[in-house]
Amino acid sequence: MAEMWISMGPQHPMTHGLWTLKVKVDGETVVDTEPDLGYIHRGVEKICEARDFTQITTYCDRLCYASANTWSHSYIYAAADLLEVEVPERAEYIRLIAIEIQRIASHLMWLGAYGPDIGNLSIMVWCLREREMMMDLLQELGGSRMHYNFPRIGGVKRDLPYGFAQRARAKLKLFLNRIQEYEALYDESTIFLVRSQGVGYAKPEEMVNHGVSGPNLRAAGVNYDVRWAHPYSVYSELDWSAPVERSSIKGADCYDRYRVRVEEMRVSASMALQALDKIPGGADTHYEPEDPMILAKAPSRAPEGTSGAHHFEDSRGESMFYIAGGGEGRGKQPYRVSIRSPIFITIPFAAKCMIGYKVADIPAIMGSFDPCIGETDR
Amino acid sequence: MASSDWLDIVGWTESMTSWSMDNVHDLMPSEDIDLQVTIPSTWAWPDPFTIGPIFNLQDGFASIQPALEAFMHAMIMSTVVFGMMMTTMLAIPYIERKFIGRLMDRLGATTTLRSLWVGESGVTGGEWWNKLPFGVGGPIGWVIGALNKTWGNSHELETISRVNNRSYHGYWFLLPGFFQAFADFFKFATKEHIVPRDADKVVFEVAPVIILSTTIMVFAFVPFGPHIYAANPDLSLLFMMAIFGVAPLGVFFAGWASNNKYTLIGGMRSAAQLTAYEIPLLITVLGVAVLSGSFNIIEIVDFQIGREEGNVWNIFMMPLGALLFLITMIAEVERIPFDMPEAEAELVEGWWTEYGGIRWGLMFAAEYMRSYAACILFALFFLGGWEAPFQHTLADLPWVGGMVEFGLSLIPGVGWILLKAWGLFAVFVWIRASLHRVRTDQILEFGWRYLLPLSLLHLVLAIAIRLLFWDGGPWNILLPIAITAISGGIFVILAIDEDKDALEIQRRPYSTQAVVKASPGSHNA
Amino acid sequence: MGKIVSASVQKDAAEAIVTSISEVAGIKAEVVERSSGTHTRNVVVVNSSPTSWRSLAEKLYSDHAVDYCSMITGIHWPEGDDDRKWEVVYHLLRTGVRDPPSEDGVVQPIIVNPSTVRGFGTPVEIEVHVHLTDSRTPSIDSVQDIWVGADWNEKETWDLVGIDFDGHDGMRRVLLPHETPRGYHPLQKQHNLRYHGFEEMYDDAQGFMRKPDDVGKIK
Repeated sequence: MAEMWISMGPQHPMTHGLWTLKVKVDGETVVDTEPDLGYIHRGVEKICEARDFTQITTYCDRLCYASANTWSHSYIYAAADLLEVEVPERAEYIRLIAIEIQRIASHLMWLGAYGPDIGNLSIMVWCLREREMMMDLLQELGGSRMHYNFPRIGGVKRDLPYGFAQRARAKLKLFLNRIQEYEALYDESTIFLVRSQGVGYAKPEEMVNHGVSGPNLRAAGVNYDVRWAHPYSVYSELDWSAPVERSSIKGADCYDRYRVRVEEMRVSASMALQALDKIPGGADTHYEPEDPMILAKAPSRAPEGTSGAHHFEDSRGESMFYIAGGGEGRGKQPYRVSIRSPIFITIPFAAKCMIGYKVADIPAIMGSFDPCIGETDR
Repeated sequence: MASSDWLDIVGWTESMTSWSMDNVHDLMPSEDIDLQVTIPSTWAWPDPFTIGPIFNLQDGFASIQPALEAFMHAMIMSTVVFGMMMTTMLAIPYIERKFIGRLMDRLGATTTLRSLWVGESGVTGGEWWNKLPFGVGGPIGWVIGALNKTWGNSHELETISRVNNRSYHGYWFLLPGFFQAFADFFKFATKEHIVPRDADKVVFEVAPVIILSTTIMVFAFVPFGPHIYAANPDLSLLFMMAIFGVAPLGVFFAGWASNNKYTLIGGMRSAAQLTAYEIPLLITVLGVAVLSGSFNIIEIVDFQIGREEGNVWNIFMMPLGALLFLITMIAEVERIPFDMPEAEAELVEGWWTEYGGIRWGLMFAAEYMRSYAACILFALFFLGGWEAPFQHTLADLPWVGGMVEFGLSLIPGVGWILLKAWGLFAVFVWIRASLHRVRTDQILEFGWRYLLPLSLLHLVLAIAIRLLFWDGGPWNILLPIAITAISGGIFVILAIDEDKDALEIQRRPYSTQAVVKASPGSHNA
Repeated sequence: MGKIVSASVQKDAAEAIVTSISEVAGIKAEVVERSSGTHTRNVVVVNSSPTSWRSLAEKLYSDHAVDYCSMITGIHWPEGDDDRKWEVVYHLLRTGVRDPPSEDGVVQPIIVNPSTVRGFGTPVEIEVHVHLTDSRTPSIDSVQDIWVGADWNEKETWDLVGIDFDGHDGMRRVLLPHETPRGYHPLQKQHNLRYHGFEEMYDDAQGFMRKPDDVGKIK
């Protein structure tokens, strides 16, 4: 059969979002790929030039909707850098809890979507069942199930609700037990091992040169993590270490990337539990909103010439905001907001990883890199 | 001795058709009708001669009566069998939906039933029983309390699994999803028929016809009971397997004719996969026929259940064959783990992407019909067809044997077949919900390199057992016990004997960094 | 406690880079202390002239093990000085990642202890500002062959802002549709956010004649 270009997308169950992957196949073997993005480009960077700094947080939730808290916090750290705000420690702990629970929810969504890519339908419902627990917790914290608008420049919107600590501990402990169910369905299934091992190799130095970071990089045997490399928040106060997978000689395959995320869920759960124990002021006290324990006063203008940038460990890699001050309203609005999406850079790399494998490996490889198109297209 | 039960539809139909044809015969006028014409002599021929028939309606009818009887009998039996198949097939999507829902921890309609007693925050559905008139709610309340103690929500699950606590929705809980199949079918029937612009119109239309017609024709030879079948030629097994194998051709036509690269890939994958699995399937079935001594399905079943014949279900005589049949049939009907041709994640329905409306609905139904046929065939070939489990043993019990035998004879054989087929379909669904999809080249490798030699081994074993151990009467009871024990032993040994080091390297577990892994016991409070 | 890279180690590494690259002509580099709320970060902030950008990039890559291009931002300053109308901001990182070695066919993962990183393994943030003179088609040297991560970043910058990259292979529209007209780069300041000053709500179902939230704020 001659070589032909197949277009996977934009409407396709595999793509986890709205984009096109054009694949050139020779029979069943992939010979060339070309990703095509931009279907949900909403112009967030341009819109933010006409919004106050507090208004931008809501836009950042909607960048990657599956992992909303990490994105709004990523923006908030950059805005704090721009406006030079000191954040109270209790607020940092609360932010950390929100971020780590969001990381668990994002990985659960990925795990639940990865199963049907490979053919297992049950795991989707099981992961979403647990994700409901996490979304309940985040709903208590932020007010809504998906786009929380939780952090504020200088702190957080509100404190941990009454009883949150008890519920969070119960749910996280139950979750740690339930992870074993997923591992049973994946790790003990020869078919999954056969489908995901030996597929989609990627080596760490090549990945770094391509701009790939996060769990995709840690699957290859190096433990680079922005949380300790460019430290922020209170990660230094907790006992944790970034999970790393021992990859094969040719690099990290899909199985490694899957395992790294499962371990990340465990680590995130333990971090959230530790943070609940260590939070200054105790997890059972509740401060009113705008109490200085959880929210510091922040300036609202950034004059021209200032800029803020912050690297952040998003669920999918290293995300970054660069904000140039001096926009409208004598600096009440930013002049330029620039957003770095890890998946925007990972997708071309993943497309290169697929060459040489079969068509049936495309969802396995693409899914293992965890694409989320909201942040890609902004 | 051929097995038999009271539901003798074939016999009734035969007697009814012959009775009705005999009546028609008797109604016919029995006198000869003289239609002869005598042509007088003319200059062309000197003698007058007579031409023409003497028509006797009754005799004429008598000569075509056997054909008419057979035709009428075939029509009636086809309708009966088709109706029985379609009606009992309603259970198949129902089992699939409900069982998969339960496996995926979505409780579904059983939740609605459960919600009658389960409560949220200690309150159950507004304590609906108190609203019943005349105070009949009291005892109901006690029952609900008792049910809550055994199958209620623990405090922890209440907050966490509240998505599973659906509420009482009225009397609809009595019909949990029963009419879903009808609703689906009507929806398909009312949708527009869209043909892709550059599709090959003839082949596009012919493909679903091939698939559907061959699938339904399979059921012509499948006996639902000892006397419920549409046709029973001597080589019914061969006929049926041949027709079962024609559907892949229709699949390939569909994939190619849709003018779509995805469907083409799907069609090719399907053609490769089904061809690869036809061969082990046929060899396995051949082994079954060899062991049972006949190519006729009813005789195979009779061999398993007859007191003077095998008297042992074939699954105990050839467990390897049963396993092979199961695996190859799952591949033949393209269910997960072998559903690469329709793999949703890459090919979005694969070879039937371009079909909509009733064509897709019927092809989807055809896939379930093939699964159903596979389940019934498994029940017929290996599970003794229409025999109750341990029927003869129970009937031979000293005191209660007579009653048991009488009781069992009240249940028509079709009931047992259906139970076995549905139970086996639940196994199909179980496999579907738990396993991942195997990649096409891995499927082909598995079929050619593992299943084919195993099926040949199975055939050799069947021949050996038949030649060495069969003496015209029932199997020696030690033989199936030995075979099952040996096969079970091999299976257990293969399952538990693992090279731990190789497994570690293969699984490459776990975080090399976290010395103290986050686990339930490692945090206090 | 969780180990993190200490600020003083990062500061030393940053200053080492600053001293080294200040020798290149056209480069003004310094270490700036930024805050993350709870930690201070020491960032190498470099101001480079467009002509020396390429050599600076090569020097960073080969001499200082800067192996990760995080983001490339293009900014349009229509009201700036003539030689500062366009700005390209590069964010680069040194990650200190190397391929893990393998013994007997088994890979030995490299587990870095963050509190003991020194020297070339220290993660460092580098921010490079390059100002370009006014032009209808501003352009700067591409670094696509040094860091492949710059590839799609450069495409996006050209697509949205209009700054071209010399030597970039395969420049195309990446977020906007492929058939967007030439010369249309929406993040330039002459393009208004609100199309033709339309200041009505698109969906005023009950006719309250409300105005959008950003009325009057968009120029």
